[in-house]
Amino acid sequence: MLKSRFEWTIWIVVAALLGAAWIFVSKEEVKEPSILTLTEAPIVGHLAPDFTLQTPIGETVTLSEFRGQPVVLNFWASWCGPCRVEMPFFERTQMKYNGQATVIGVNQGETADIVQDFGVRQNISYPLLVDDDNTVNLDYNVHSLPTTIFIDPDGVVQEVIVGIVNQAVLEDRIEGMMRAE
Amino acid sequence: MFPTINIGPFVFPTAGIVYLLGVYLALTLIERAAKRLELNVEATYGVAVVGLLVGIVAARLAFVVEYWASFSQNLISIIWPLTSGYNVAAGLFFGAAAAFFYGRFKQLPFWSTLDALTPGLLTAFIAISLADFLAGPGYGTLTRMPWGISVFGIRRQPVQLFEIILGLAALGVWWQVVKRGAPAGRPFLLSIALYSAGRLFLDVYRDNTWLTADGYHIMQILALAVFVGCLVMLMRMETAVALKNETDQQEG
Repeated sequence: MLKSRFEWTIWIVVAALLGAAWIFVSKEEVKEPSILTLTEAPIVGHLAPDFTLQTPIGETVTLSEFRGQPVVLNFWASWCGPCRVEMPFFERTQMKYNGQATVIGVNQGETADIVQDFGVRQNISYPLLVDDDNTVNLDYNVHSLPTTIFIDPDGVVQEVIVGIVNQAVLEDRIEGMMRAE
Repeated sequence: MFPTINIGPFVFPTAGIVYLLGVYLALTLIERAAKRLELNVEATYGVAVVGLLVGIVAARLAFVVEYWASFSQNLISIIWPLTSGYNVAAGLFFGAAAAFFYGRFKQLPFWSTLDALTPGLLTAFIAISLADFLAGPGYGTLTRMPWGISVFGIRRQPVQLFEIILGLAALGVWWQVVKRGAPAGRPFLLSIALYSAGRLFLDVYRDNTWLTADGYHIMQILALAVFVGCLVMLMRMETAVALKNETDQQEG
């Protein structure tokens, strides 16, 4: 019996040492994520597809210009009830993290006039972009509204949420991305 | 990858569907395993359901507590929407605790109950890997090997497929051990030991795995702890059985 317990102990120690050695061998250099090896895709862990769109008053906004801070990309439309529900959360988030993180609203398939009216009526201060031919919506595979995409300071998609998000989730994800940086 | 499934005019997130199917399959397997191990089927099924429900509620409440300042301005958001906003660690801790105490309350045998829960647990791991594979959040390291898969134009190790095969192998071990009428606890310990050893090995092939500040793989450290823990418990179990046999022989 003792021999058996002794044998067990030896085997467990050997297994533990081999496991620890494997962990040591697999240790990675602490480095930036391998961004150069990533391709653009609207999928978690990939570079967010870059785009340039205009606000209803003609200001040009390019996603990659916001590298260095977390970006929350919200796809919405004026006819979408749930989008209207969550917009005050985005507004509050934009106010709270002004300068540290950016909220961008990308409209789905509506004209600049509709986007402009909606923004004024809802008191939205973050940029609402016009995508009347749905180019960016298609690039991001947006099938359902609202869709919210969290992009870290390196431009990598961290999470895609289809459906309404609330204020706490927005803060949690933004702070998580800021901490990771 | 397939992050969404289109059925007519409706679009469903693939990961969500896989998780739901995974839960259904896991609960079904637990029910069947309990039957096979001649346990109280209803109570064993109850352990899984209680653990799951308490886990979900606790994960949500912990998140609400953490961000009370935001939720207090809009109380309805505590219960809607529920698609995001959970504290996974709290969910796991309270779910496991609730399952444990429910099992105690129902006077279920500890090791046999764990044996019955094992296929469900492994199925849940397989579902997570499958959802990861289809929806794309986890991906493998770069490779030129013929089994590499193209992920948005770049050839990568199909690490989630490796994990799924590992989960199926662990299920196979569980089945074989149960079929041979092994003592209570051995099916659980052997299959979980195999699964954790496999994850310890495979995590190297994940490109976006969690790392410590020093660059060590967190999943590998957890897997090694579980693996060694399983081996220690197996040793205690096997040596206790050997001692009992020895005593029986002496008395006989």
